[in-house]
Amino acid sequence: MNILIMILTFCLMEGATWLIHKYIMHGFLWILHKDHHDHSNEGALEKNDYFFVIFALPTIALMYFGSLHHFNYLFFIGLGIMLYGMAYFFVHDIFIHQRIKLFANTNHRYFLAMRRAHKQHHKHLSKEEGECFGFLFVPFKYLKMYHNSSKK
Amino acid sequence: MRQYTYILILFFTVIVCFIASFDKRIKFDQYFLPFLKAAIIVAIPFISWDIWFTLKGIWWFNFDYTLGIQLFGLPIEEWLFFISIPFACVFTYYCMNNFFRWEHLIGFNNILVFTSIIVCSVIALLHPHQTYTLVTAISTTVTLIFLHFIVRATWISKASLTYLILMLGFLPVNGILTGTGIDHPVVNYNSKTFLDIRILTIPIEDAVYGYTQFLLVIYFFYQFRKKRDQKLPLK
Repeated sequence: MNILIMILTFCLMEGATWLIHKYIMHGFLWILHKDHHDHSNEGALEKNDYFFVIFALPTIALMYFGSLHHFNYLFFIGLGIMLYGMAYFFVHDIFIHQRIKLFANTNHRYFLAMRRAHKQHHKHLSKEEGECFGFLFVPFKYLKMYHNSSKK
Repeated sequence: MRQYTYILILFFTVIVCFIASFDKRIKFDQYFLPFLKAAIIVAIPFISWDIWFTLKGIWWFNFDYTLGIQLFGLPIEEWLFFISIPFACVFTYYCMNNFFRWEHLIGFNNILVFTSIIVCSVIALLHPHQTYTLVTAISTTVTLIFLHFIVRATWISKASLTYLILMLGFLPVNGILTGTGIDHPVVNYNSKTFLDIRILTIPIEDAVYGYTQFLLVIYFFYQFRKKRDQKLPLK
């Protein structure tokens, strides 16, 4: 049961990420996310990095209160968020930004589409316009795009 | 012979690295001074921690295994520990940096720091009364926040991988000190002050605080090395 809660949390986090990204990061907290798009911030620290805290703090709280109650569902929700965070960093830092040449020459349309969607999102420098706010879930049109191209 | 136990452990830890430092392919000897400065700066808080914990009875030393010279309740060997162990560690890191192309490990920094901060914070919150566990978890969290967000160290994953490899040396050295293979431990722990999860006889907190100490020594080593050798790009 707890494992199910964890997996469900992981999946829901994709939705939550989309909502947070679209309505919060590109909404009232755009001030923190802006420099991730236009690289306006001088120095090494992007304000965007504060989102690290926004995801870490509730995870710590959930895991702490869950452990106090004999590792109940709260703990596993926290664990699900942590695993999503790890997956996020893995895919974003290592795969999309190609820190390690992992799947660099992939022809798999899921990976190609994911990279494409991420690029598409970064094309827009302003707050209002934007697309592809999700992350692991790639819009079908990109999947289709690569589906067709791989046939040609 | 028994009283040479601790000093011999330190001697064997250092000697191989020390001799190899002069090898012309390595030339670590030119960095002895930056290393020494870094080790001493980091030793100050860690020896203070050590003196405080010895006073509180969180751990204590078996003087049968030491030369008998004491300073603030710590055997002289324990003072030397904070120079000799970091020496072997920084030497290993320096060699790995020279011989491998591993810059891409930078991609793991976020995952590593994110996960470690969450785990350490939860453990600190859950064990406020186990002093050793609490102090270790807090200092690791603070160090990682400092290095990742303030210093923006790009080398955290590289250092972590080195530390993982260094476990091969850490296990026998700290194993003997905590009682593996000898009649009594050289360092004894009050089991109420930590989680009492042990690798062989080594409390898991030892491995974690060693990691924090290692990261800080590397940080200061880079700082002093940069000053000494402005021409070389910071790796």
